[in-house]
Amino acid sequence: MRDLQDLAAKLLTEKTVGLVIGWEAGPRGARPSFVTDPKDAGKLISDNRCVHNLAAYLSPRRPHLRGFGRIAVAVKGCDVRAVAGLLRETQLRREDVVLIGIRCGGVHDTPTGVGPLTADNLADRCVGCEVRDPARCDHVLGELPPSLPSRGGRRAARIAELEALDHAARFAFWREELSRCVRCNACRQVCPLCVCERCLADKTDPPWIESSPHPRANLAWHATRALHLAGRCVDCGECERACPAGIPLNLIGRKVAAVVERRFGYRTTDDPQVPAPIGAWKPEDGQEFIR
Amino acid sequence: MSVGKEKPQMATDEHRLGEGVGGTTRFLARGDLEKLVAELLGAGTRVVAPVDAGKGETEYRRLASFAEAKLGAALPRRSLKEFFLPPTEELFRWRREGEALQLLETPAAHVATVILGAFPCDAAAVQALDKVMGWDYRDDPWFGRREATTIVALACNGQDGSCFCTAVGLRPDAVRGADLLLAANGEGYEVQVLTPKGRALVDGHAARFGAGRDTGSANVIRAAARERVAKNLQATPEKIRGWLQANFEHPMWKGIALRCHGCGACAAVCPTCHCFDIVDEPEGLYEGARRRNWDTCQTPVFTLHASGHNPRPDQNARIRQRLNHKFRIYPERFGELLCTGCGRCARACPGGMDLPELLGALEKLAASAPAPAPAPGPAAGALIPPPGGAR
Repeated sequence: MRDLQDLAAKLLTEKTVGLVIGWEAGPRGARPSFVTDPKDAGKLISDNRCVHNLAAYLSPRRPHLRGFGRIAVAVKGCDVRAVAGLLRETQLRREDVVLIGIRCGGVHDTPTGVGPLTADNLADRCVGCEVRDPARCDHVLGELPPSLPSRGGRRAARIAELEALDHAARFAFWREELSRCVRCNACRQVCPLCVCERCLADKTDPPWIESSPHPRANLAWHATRALHLAGRCVDCGECERACPAGIPLNLIGRKVAAVVERRFGYRTTDDPQVPAPIGAWKPEDGQEFIR
Repeated sequence: MSVGKEKPQMATDEHRLGEGVGGTTRFLARGDLEKLVAELLGAGTRVVAPVDAGKGETEYRRLASFAEAKLGAALPRRSLKEFFLPPTEELFRWRREGEALQLLETPAAHVATVILGAFPCDAAAVQALDKVMGWDYRDDPWFGRREATTIVALACNGQDGSCFCTAVGLRPDAVRGADLLLAANGEGYEVQVLTPKGRALVDGHAARFGAGRDTGSANVIRAAARERVAKNLQATPEKIRGWLQANFEHPMWKGIALRCHGCGACAAVCPTCHCFDIVDEPEGLYEGARRRNWDTCQTPVFTLHASGHNPRPDQNARIRQRLNHKFRIYPERFGELLCTGCGRCARACPGGMDLPELLGALEKLAASAPAPAPAPGPAAGALIPPPGGAR
């Protein structure tokens, strides 16, 4: 924690960056922190409540974060995948950002989490994590904490349960879940990879996706979003965390990711040079749908 | 903590009396509450109450039986507003046959409803919204549902550090907007009958309600809850309003919303955010529906002009608007705050924006730089006439 504060202060003092985005202790657990004055660097923290994927703030859709000059951002190994996604899709220039990698021993499923991690409070995505030591960063801080608590992958089991249902029952499950959606668009807004300047869902002439939160439009919206994030979703879980209706959006993202991996042999990676299936073609890609 | 001395003071409290007939007290035993719900359901009344929504959370939902109700537990994820202003609502349909265009009225069938265990902050919000919904135009769907609905509030114990009803002129046991207020006293509920609608519910099920027996313990519980919430935030909304009026261009706004994603979750869970969008949705070539849907000032498209100009260009401007609407504009127009201190926005925010924290900061700014006293009534030169004014 101390080394993060020192580094942030140094980067700001030397004017390497104009803004450091990290985490701080807020009124309700950890929260994103924006430091422009080296004197404020002492409020930065890095602990197991630092759930937020701060790469979302690097998206070009946030005009109020422009004008600070170069930005330094604290990232966990998994967050680097989102940065890589932005770089891969030319939404961000590498030289405009300083990446402060934080070695990670897993995070709580909520920023208000308290105490050590257990199988019950560990974020789903941390199970089986392979990127606890962040790659491709300008600085990497902290000791590698002890291994994560292991559990059998509750989310994988949930997806398997849903797959075992017949079509009608599965549809009924999603109809029920999506019926709570009020189309606030929180899922889209917090997504580091939802980078469109004008989202399809905001277009009104013609209205490709109806804006009313009725079952037809909710299905259209969430299905469209799932497909637009196929091979792009980095499993940060921010959409599900932000959803005020408690819809398990992660299940959709993970299922689609599994399909992409099976069909295209691609998993989201922190290497921006590896093309995502949506922007690449390989002779061995399954082509049966255009035969 | 001198809770025993609270009672005489409360009897004169304006919030205790609400705006209806005031103050009759009855007693409702736990067993009788269950029977009351069974009677209501048996008569075809829709009963809505907080029910379990997993992970320790609750939601207001229609009850199939009393057993589902989780009274006095966690504040529901979303407020009561969706029972009066649904997230989407059909206003009318159209159909084209040849050259003829038919407009088909959507029948307004408002089911008789009792909302049981409403949180006082949610009940108060509904009453605050009556002002805007009945202002220059009377919103029939809103008032149709209002009239069909009886709100039985339950005095709250305070949820957590994000509650701040006491800082916005309410209390965990406020009666505003409620037809009945229940207060747990260990054996059952003391019942305050507040409005004719509340009276009708009690009279219609007279066998369930005993004579009021004021044990005093409900008052102890209520006073403790007030004290708990009051610790979270001390604020004077009038001072904040004056500061907002005088400081629209204050430099602090430039950095107010750095962590805000503009996601609108705050508006979705807010009991008083009521902005809506009206859309025409074709269904096939020859027919369609006009609907109104929840909207939020936190998105760019909310203020995007056809020219491409956006008068609220970024999140800082949108958060400034949110605070101004709640703590300056609505009070100017309607004489009350557009916030009941439920704290849901702070709990829901994925970026850690925190309204009680912001209000605390505004309070400090207002104290350090005394602003001119707010002008009485609407701002001079307002384009919109005041409620009840000349049209």
